[in-house]
Amino acid sequence: MMGSLKKLLGLAIVLAALPVWAQDAVEVGSITPLSGKLAVYGEGFQRAMNLALEEVNAAGGIQGKPLKIIFEDNGSTSQGSVSAIQKLITVHKVPIIFGPAASSNFLAICPIAQQNKVVLIGAESAAADISQCGSYVFRVFPSDILQGRGGAELAKELGYRKVVLTYINNDWGVGLAEAFKDSFTESGGEIIDEFPHEEGKSDYRSEILRIKQSNAPAVVNLTYIKEGAAMLKQAFEMKVKTQWIMGSASKSPKLVEIAGEAAEGIIGTYPTFSQDTPQYQHFKTAWEKAYPESKIGVFAEYNYDMVNLTAKALNLAVESTPEALREALMEAGKGYQGVTGDKTFDENGDVGAVYGKWTVTDGKIVDYRK
Amino acid sequence: MYYLQLVINGIIAGSMYALFAVGLTMVYGVFRFINFAHGELIALGAYSALFFTSPPLSLPLIWATAPAVACTVCVGLLQDRLVFQPLCHGTRMTLLIASIGLSYLLRNAIQFGFGSDLLSYNVDLAAGYEWGPIIVTRMQLSMLITAVVFLTFLYWLFTRTMLGKALRAVADNMELAGIMGIPLGRVNRTVWILAATFAAVGGILLAMDTSLEPMMGVINLLKAFAAVLLGGPGNVWGALIGGIAIGVAENLSVAVLSPGYKDFIAFAVILVMLLFRPGGIFSFQKGMR
Repeated sequence: MMGSLKKLLGLAIVLAALPVWAQDAVEVGSITPLSGKLAVYGEGFQRAMNLALEEVNAAGGIQGKPLKIIFEDNGSTSQGSVSAIQKLITVHKVPIIFGPAASSNFLAICPIAQQNKVVLIGAESAAADISQCGSYVFRVFPSDILQGRGGAELAKELGYRKVVLTYINNDWGVGLAEAFKDSFTESGGEIIDEFPHEEGKSDYRSEILRIKQSNAPAVVNLTYIKEGAAMLKQAFEMKVKTQWIMGSASKSPKLVEIAGEAAEGIIGTYPTFSQDTPQYQHFKTAWEKAYPESKIGVFAEYNYDMVNLTAKALNLAVESTPEALREALMEAGKGYQGVTGDKTFDENGDVGAVYGKWTVTDGKIVDYRK
Repeated sequence: MYYLQLVINGIIAGSMYALFAVGLTMVYGVFRFINFAHGELIALGAYSALFFTSPPLSLPLIWATAPAVACTVCVGLLQDRLVFQPLCHGTRMTLLIASIGLSYLLRNAIQFGFGSDLLSYNVDLAAGYEWGPIIVTRMQLSMLITAVVFLTFLYWLFTRTMLGKALRAVADNMELAGIMGIPLGRVNRTVWILAATFAAVGGILLAMDTSLEPMMGVINLLKAFAAVLLGGPGNVWGALIGGIAIGVAENLSVAVLSPGYKDFIAFAVILVMLLFRPGGIFSFQKGMR
């Protein structure tokens, strides 16, 4: 009896000591897809965040304390994101949370963050609706409205007045397609056929047949890597001759690796930033040193900027109230030149963007030039 | 012509669903539970083939298929031996939950071994074969031929061999079959071998057509599940026809419905069948088990 009581007491002491020990670090949360369908990207996000974290801590951390990111897996789902944010808010009591990838997942937790006055920052979510989430929601990634316009301009520039539009059937795809459509038709373009396609399928042949039927000179396909690669491959086998115009989410060496020959010649837009800046060069060297085995992941630069910007804000903040942190983040962003360019937040917590063009030549993703 | 092409695409997609559904329904027929870990056998087949085609072995894909199927069969048999056999006297619910657990275990094991990144076999692409306006790709043809070969083999096994007869007898009534002296252990093993083989072969084809990821089996399991219900659980030929019917319905729907809701068809089939004909469309007659 005494023995077990002692054990219990010991356990209680250990438990009581835990939060004290944890307070030695400044904690922020991150909702990251480490399993499920977006896990393809999740590991890369995590690497980028950890890279920035190491640098922040090497440079003295947050007001002398080390910064710590608590990663919560959301299983790539909205439900998972909601449980993750609830855990981060109630159990870990973090003041700042890095939001999940995929706009549907991000949008699912926006109201929770806003209600609990927790600063939520996104590094991958592009849906236009996120701008309306509220004052505590920020993103270092440009809104779709900008990318939709960028895509429409690209199609026009390439001389296509009639296109088929297909997009992935989720918040991100629908939002981006809307933005594209508005901008494209406004400038006199015509959309011959328009249909969403489902995420995660292995057979898109009947969808491609619809494209083939329309004889479109160009197809705007706003999709992800896996779906994009499958569609390109199957379209190639079905002898569909068209110009594929794609978005930033399919711009990945993985797409080229899987689709092979079928990816040759596709052209796409992506929010870009100069690779000649000292910031980018520093990031690139640091990444290659830290992860010699893996290529720089999709949106890695944004994740890196997000952590650095957060660290700057935490260092600026005079107190740790939600309002002070929010203001510190606004302040930190002002004129901040990150790897991905200027991160000045507007009143919606959004940043501006420059759009570049990419294409695939000889199995490599390169900048598109006429 | 457009519709004919959609039907052809549907039959081929459906023959893949059928390949998965047949295994699922056979396990149901004998053991009376839906094996949720069946999807992982699909992924496992694909990943084992990747293992044999990558260094240090670097076998050509065609030679990697046999050892990959063998690996998957081993896992299928181990599933039975280590999880389902010890639980076989429990309720069906126990088996069902065990299979869900097993599904997570296997999926995470794959993710642990290969990572969650998309992977591929790097097969060369080839333009399809054209007959007038109809086009069938080399990949589609391989799928169709494989499905036909495997399902014909199954037909032969069931109707022409003693083992097949024993299998049908066990599916009909396991106890009675045991009393009559049918070696239950052997029949059980055969079911797992067949189910795992079909899943692995299908998985490899699927991966050749698209890419590999740990979740690949789960997505296709839903379709297989709908096919099983459509054909009546435990009815092998029902599952075959069910799979093809779902493939065709799904692809034809692209012409009318928004392709963004393709999965709707499979879900609708599951719902309608459960509500109105839980025994499958062939429930009015006794299906061949």
